[in-house]
Amino acid sequence: MRTPARGTAALLTLALAAGLAGSAGIAQAQDKGSHDDSRRIKNVIYLLGDGMGRTHVTAARERYYGAAGNLVMETLPAVGQISTYAVQQGSGQPGEAGFVPNLVTDSASAATAWSSGVKTYNAALGVDAKGTVVPTLMELAHQSGLRTGNVSTAEITDATPAGQMSHVLLRGCQGPSYSAAACQNTSLVGTLPTSDVRVTPVADQIARNQTADVILGGGLSRFDAADETALESNGYDVLGSPASQTVATKTDLAGASSDKVFALFNKGNLTIEKFKRENPASVQAQEPDLAAMTTKAIQLLSSGKKGFYLQVEGALIDKRSHANDAGQTLEEMKAFDEAVRVAKEFAAKDGHTLVVVTADHECAGFNIIEKGTFTNAEATTPPANVDSGNTANSSTPPRATGGTKDPARAAFAPATFRTPDDAAGVLDGSADASLWLTYLSGNHTGADVPVFAYGPGSDELEGSIDNTDLFDIVGDALRLTS
Amino acid sequence: MAGVSAACAEDAPGSDPLAVVDPSGAAVTSFPDLVAPTGEPGQEGLAAVRPEPGSVGVVPGPFDDRFTLDRLQVARGVVTGRLTVTSDVSDLLELEVVAGFYDAAGELIGTSSWVHHLDESAEHGHTGPPDESVSFRIVAPPALRERVTSAAVGVPVLVNE
Repeated sequence: MRTPARGTAALLTLALAAGLAGSAGIAQAQDKGSHDDSRRIKNVIYLLGDGMGRTHVTAARERYYGAAGNLVMETLPAVGQISTYAVQQGSGQPGEAGFVPNLVTDSASAATAWSSGVKTYNAALGVDAKGTVVPTLMELAHQSGLRTGNVSTAEITDATPAGQMSHVLLRGCQGPSYSAAACQNTSLVGTLPTSDVRVTPVADQIARNQTADVILGGGLSRFDAADETALESNGYDVLGSPASQTVATKTDLAGASSDKVFALFNKGNLTIEKFKRENPASVQAQEPDLAAMTTKAIQLLSSGKKGFYLQVEGALIDKRSHANDAGQTLEEMKAFDEAVRVAKEFAAKDGHTLVVVTADHECAGFNIIEKGTFTNAEATTPPANVDSGNTANSSTPPRATGGTKDPARAAFAPATFRTPDDAAGVLDGSADASLWLTYLSGNHTGADVPVFAYGPGSDELEGSIDNTDLFDIVGDALRLTS
Repeated sequence: MAGVSAACAEDAPGSDPLAVVDPSGAAVTSFPDLVAPTGEPGQEGLAAVRPEPGSVGVVPGPFDDRFTLDRLQVARGVVTGRLTVTSDVSDLLELEVVAGFYDAAGELIGTSSWVHHLDESAEHGHTGPPDESVSFRIVAPPALRERVTSAAVGVPVLVNE
């Protein structure tokens, strides 16, 4: 396992060392830059499938391409696995005194691990386990002159995108309003003045820090008129309007051409692909999918001379895994993989782009079980998936009927799906369908997650690494760290 | 040195180590145009409504499409109700319900709030799937309770995991 330098103190040390030992640093850059141009990395596209465990990948492959097929991400040549554990509040870093791991991470501490290179407690964004602000890769990239982009199918103030462009003690401090309960972590650092960044709502930070040049996703409800004014005064082309709570559309996105674009397509999370597919005339069908947002972000960012750093999150894999809805989960996996396709095709043409595809954690203990079998569960009912207010999320995964040991627990029956290897006429939900899927729970698990990579430097992702190593790998690739 | 720097710097991200980013300055931690809040979130619109005596009104907020409210009651200066999140099935991280209390003339005489905060660092104990519904109880300030005849509620804070 890698043991690179990490953390704020390490970064400061690196900066001082680079200044004091300039000739050594230049020699290193010369070796990477002028003698091996084929490995020169100009751009990094980092794609994150939230909640995407190894079985999510396998199940999506089998569903859409058959047992012998591959998702696009599985065609990337470098393959590894990543440990994802977090730490308890106040903990030291691994190897330091007072190190107390938490074996199951949330999206916030995972995002901080790869964005800032430190282990932290669940809920923390851009701060270490003791509550100290740590810079993010996207901030480093922005400061060095790279173009930056942050794309998600979640609210853009949610943990994964926010981990690159905000610093808060608690991920619930999202906005539009500050509240002590949601923002202060008094047990860690006492009560902070409301002017402290660590208790400033994420939306307020995103609207003002200019860390990401291109911001695409959901969460318009978190932003207000003052945020819109701040964005516009900082040169953003704001599609839609936070002031009037008017969402942007995919048509708006297609027409965007500015260097800095801010576009939110839903007041909350973006709508799941299954609903948009089944309701093409709906308002929600005007939201762009992840592949379209990735395509546009790359187009807008690749005009820069110095290169770009783009993070793309398929967030709804996790959210629909929490709901134990295999059908929706599979479609979100497919949508995420199509965004990977966009990134890979760009990288193949460009030749100087590193593409990294991974996850923050596994969600819900997704399993492929033997056809015709069932699992036991302790709860009396599985997670509800009937949303009276947001009917886009309501669905009933096609479940096998008959054969359950206890008919009263039929709600836990596996969800079954046909694959391309099944004979024509085999239906989803039938016992004849090949792919039988089930969930352990409605929560995250501590399983290691897969990583796939393509392009120069992709061999760094092979083998077993920790999620904090991703900070060093990407940082080194973009020459932002050592 | 200058030649090497030029060869490395052109079209290469952060490539001149002498100009390496100072990480201590990279984090954005201040926002000059942002006025720091001085208190807890209120709920706009509470002063503008005039609920009928004995009733509980609902004022609009930023998350109205994410929940439903039912079982709303006001009695003896106490508002109770149930909020059901309809947009997510993951853990409810933050929720704040703000209540306005009104006298017989329909004038707003005071506010109070109910807060839910999920401490992710605490042990949760044995729990099943996330519960989408929460019941709340909001009590008017003691000095006002006898004058309260109606109420209105709004939701300024709502975050799901």
